[in-house]
Amino acid sequence: MVQRLTGKTVIVTGGRQGIGRAIVERFTAEGARVMTCGRGPRPAGLDAQILWQTTDVADRAQVDQLVNATLSAFGELSTLVNNAGVQIEKTIVDTSDDDWDQLMGVNAKGVFLACRACIPRMVAGASIINIGSISATTADPGLALYNASKAFVQGLTRSIAVDHGPAIRCNAISPGWIMTGMADAAFALAGDPVAAKSDALARHPAGRFGRPDDIASLAAWLASDEAGFASGQCYTLDGGMTAGSPLNPGLF
Amino acid sequence: MSKQLKGKTAFVTGGSGGIGAAICERFAAEGAKVIAADLHPPGTTLRGVEFRKYDVTSEDVVSSTFTALAQQWDRLDILVNAAGIEIEKTIEDTTLEEWNRIFAINVTGMFLTSRQALPLLRKSAGASVINFGSYDGYIADPGLAAYCATKGAVHALTRAMACDHGPEGIRVNAVCPGYVNTPMLQDFFGDSGDIETLKQAVRDVHPMRTYGEPADVANLVNWLASDEARYASGQLWILDGGLSAQVQQMRL
Repeated sequence: MVQRLTGKTVIVTGGRQGIGRAIVERFTAEGARVMTCGRGPRPAGLDAQILWQTTDVADRAQVDQLVNATLSAFGELSTLVNNAGVQIEKTIVDTSDDDWDQLMGVNAKGVFLACRACIPRMVAGASIINIGSISATTADPGLALYNASKAFVQGLTRSIAVDHGPAIRCNAISPGWIMTGMADAAFALAGDPVAAKSDALARHPAGRFGRPDDIASLAAWLASDEAGFASGQCYTLDGGMTAGSPLNPGLF
Repeated sequence: MSKQLKGKTAFVTGGSGGIGAAICERFAAEGAKVIAADLHPPGTTLRGVEFRKYDVTSEDVVSSTFTALAQQWDRLDILVNAAGIEIEKTIEDTTLEEWNRIFAINVTGMFLTSRQALPLLRKSAGASVINFGSYDGYIADPGLAAYCATKGAVHALTRAMACDHGPEGIRVNAVCPGYVNTPMLQDFFGDSGDIETLKQAVRDVHPMRTYGEPADVANLVNWLASDEARYASGQLWILDGGLSAQVQQMRL
């Protein structure tokens, strides 16, 4: 493994599983010191050198504690990855006020709280990486608030880049269909989940769905000094899916 | 260097230009076998890079070059279509000859080279084509009408090639630089009076307070060429120091 992240001090939110876990492990393998978090206790099997702080990112006090604990442990902070996210499979008609609080609390307020707490305390040359979604620009059916929350992430990403450059670079990654528990939950909405998965696969020029480590590859580049001129962008990583029209006669 | 491209073969059109030369040198440093294809040899010797006299607008030259290349290499892993020119005119001042010339180099040349490269790209275990778009394919710079139009064409061609050739194991992406310190940018600054004041003004409008260097672009191209980017396809990767993330900077 190349060591592009030696000396980097990192917070990754939502590191229990899926994309977040892949980013945590990749960053550690490339030499970074990493603090990660989730709402539950430290997950089994997390490498001992990786720090864990049980945190609800929607709660300001807990986010402040996370940042304080990171600075106490590492002495500085160079990288923030806002990965924590939840998904509620509903149209807005079915969405309750509690659903709103839960989803926007994590996906929108959580990103805001973490950025607000970290930006004044990050080193010059710091990098913030927000995990957005292709859903920010093209809606997935039945995921109304999720789609909207990811559009928030894109808007905030550009704002941070503009307001806090050149000291801080800020970019978002918009993953397509990455095989995680969250994607399985979305497929489960289909009348025939197996057929839906096969149809979705046929729409990927890459011939496969994404893996969490695909996203970690881009996150590692964006966190590294190689990406010194990259800021304010939302980079899509989707195996080519959104490069093609959704009206695909070959699938009729 | 981490030798991310060890054992790979790369063909770079426009390989003697500002950005092309930086890409060739980076590829060679990362362990790739590299051919820089251009009308003229680079101004300074590029370490570990083989020069090939090449005219992207000539079907005969392109065809014979790839016939010969098939004798030299059993496969092509990386194709970078970096050959390009700009014409600093509005449409009113652009002659048909100039219009046809810029399309012949920036667009038709990309088509001809990519078409002839396909058989060798298919023999790669994971080929990557990187086209040169521009942030001007999204938002216009004044007085660059034909150039902007060619870059819009490049962006659409990139998505089309990704859709068509993804299933053959070929990833296709475009890099869309903003302002990068190249001879082309110096031409664009041209005789605008106080060049240093102008350059500083250009830097100041960037969230990162600088324009890019060819090495910044080579950093992204290197990532897209590497197996790290194995899920990246069909995308237009803007690299502009945050410039296009912000709205016009009004002097209020």
